[in-house]
Amino acid sequence: MSASAAAVEAEGLSKTFGSIRAVDGVDLSLQPGFIYGLLGPNGSGKTTLIRLLAGLARPTSGEARILGTRMPSRPMLGRIGYMPQAEALYPELSVGENLGFFARLEGAFSRDAVDRVLELVELGDRRGTPVMHLSGGMRRRLSLACTLVHEPPILFLDEPTVGVDPALRVQFWAHFRRLSAAGVTILVASHVIDEADRCDELLFMRSGKVIAQGTPEELRAGAATTNLEAAFLHFAGLDAEGRPLVPAP
Amino acid sequence: MSGSRIVAVARRIAQGFRRDERTLALMFVVPIAITALLGWVLRGEQSATVNVVVVNDAGAAGQRIVDALISATTGAPDGIEVVAQADTRGAAEGAMRDDRASIALVIPASLLTDVMAGQRPVLTVITGGTDPGADAQRMGAVQGLVATMATEIGGISGAPVVIPEVVHETVFLSPDADSLDVLAPVFLGYFAYFFVFLLTGISFLRERVGGTLERLLATPVTRGEIVTGYSLGFGIFATIQVVVLTLFVLARIDVPSLGPIPAFTIGLDVASAGSPLLAFLLTMVLSLGAVSLGIFLSTFARTELQIIQFIPLVIIPQGLLGGIFWPVDQLPDVLQAVARVLPMTYAVDGLREVMLKGADLGSAVVQTDLAVLAGIAVLFVVLAAGTIKREVA
Repeated sequence: MSASAAAVEAEGLSKTFGSIRAVDGVDLSLQPGFIYGLLGPNGSGKTTLIRLLAGLARPTSGEARILGTRMPSRPMLGRIGYMPQAEALYPELSVGENLGFFARLEGAFSRDAVDRVLELVELGDRRGTPVMHLSGGMRRRLSLACTLVHEPPILFLDEPTVGVDPALRVQFWAHFRRLSAAGVTILVASHVIDEADRCDELLFMRSGKVIAQGTPEELRAGAATTNLEAAFLHFAGLDAEGRPLVPAP
Repeated sequence: MSGSRIVAVARRIAQGFRRDERTLALMFVVPIAITALLGWVLRGEQSATVNVVVVNDAGAAGQRIVDALISATTGAPDGIEVVAQADTRGAAEGAMRDDRASIALVIPASLLTDVMAGQRPVLTVITGGTDPGADAQRMGAVQGLVATMATEIGGISGAPVVIPEVVHETVFLSPDADSLDVLAPVFLGYFAYFFVFLLTGISFLRERVGGTLERLLATPVTRGEIVTGYSLGFGIFATIQVVVLTLFVLARIDVPSLGPIPAFTIGLDVASAGSPLLAFLLTMVLSLGAVSLGIFLSTFARTELQIIQFIPLVIIPQGLLGGIFWPVDQLPDVLQAVARVLPMTYAVDGLREVMLKGADLGSAVVQTDLAVLAGIAVLFVVLAAGTIKREVA
């Protein structure tokens, strides 16, 4: 363990798939207890960066460290909560069974732990329902519960609020805020700009590179705009008619 | 009915097929390959010489007959050859257990007195009894020897030529055993292997494409733990399946007539010599290999349909070459070599040894079969763990 105080660090982190540079020389340092937003269009390398940081993929060059330990490291996986973009749940198992399974793999199973996260995501009354009978929003909530059940100090959330209705999205964020207040470091990938303002700090990502980092205010000021979307275009070197961050609905 | 919409549906199917080269290839290549394999097995089957061991209880007269039989069959001109003479019936059966002979012929002490009294002498023919089909062929081949003997007896006794009566006995099972008695025990292994492979393959494919495998690998679980857990989980179901199937094969429950329902029987009442527990052990070790094989092959499939397409590649050749229908040592040499690396070959051999011949764990054959099956299972566990991609072990 190094003496580093950062929760998550990357130095020159790169990953290439054939000729595609999915992540291209990323340096970052995430401090404990903060919420970081990773913003960028589809295909900008957000998911690959998260996978590298979480130790689910090996970098082509550079290195990632979690709490001072170089990744990939299997024991460190128990201290990370990873919520993938697609729900990775067993449709034939019930809510409680899915949660119990992941809790046991993390070595953190207890009835209390399961009850606590189920209440948190408001699925306490659905414990026995098979996942195949849940709505899309309920599955996202269960997926988040599976990520939180072992109380990891570091969370990587890949588009956690996709398909989640506005009221629930507010609840999700209120909970992320409570976790960060308790010292949990959170990295949230998103392409929804209105979530960005809820983060302590933002990382703009494009073509595998982090093109800007700072608080939402700093980024707006740096781009001389009041609009984060315009700020992204500014840092991406695009004009107001450039490729939109969020495709028109 | 709209013709253009019907054509649109048909066109959609053709377009899908064009993208799925593997399904297309399997539709044309696999039937030809399997039929060719079957042809190779059947046409290339090496007809084994029937080796006879003779037991002479009829003294000097009997010995003349034995000598005549030996000289008449040297070099197996009719596919049957007297290769040995045994002093006792027990010694002859020993030779058959050791595969030195496939049939024994007992010349009775009462041979000459019977002939003199004008009675047909009774010859006892002993076959293995573990393969009724082959035994029937051997009984047919013996007819030539019986004719030779009849002539010889006529020469010795001076009495009119009488054709001896032939009584059929067996070393294992009963002379009345049918093909089911021989096939049912090995089908236990075959079905267990088939279903365990299919279920594991589909189940693990779902883990791969459904994203749960990646999610698992984001926890501290090891690949070995996943493969072992799968083996245990599917092992439980394989256990239940094998127990139920074994009971069905061995048991016979007569259900009496009840009102309009006529009486019927549950179970096949197959004759078994050996311990069902040992047969069960063999089947379990075989099934563990099937779990890992399913995990391993799920890497090479993208859809559940493609897992099912592995059946003609994995399950059918093992059925043809594994010794279920044709003895492995009568296959063409190349196919024998192939059969020697198939787990089914060892399972079938072991199950026959236990269920038909009553071998126990002390039998060298059973020990070898178990060891080879365990080795194959371990090999595939390693291969399967290797297909679970993760950056950290």
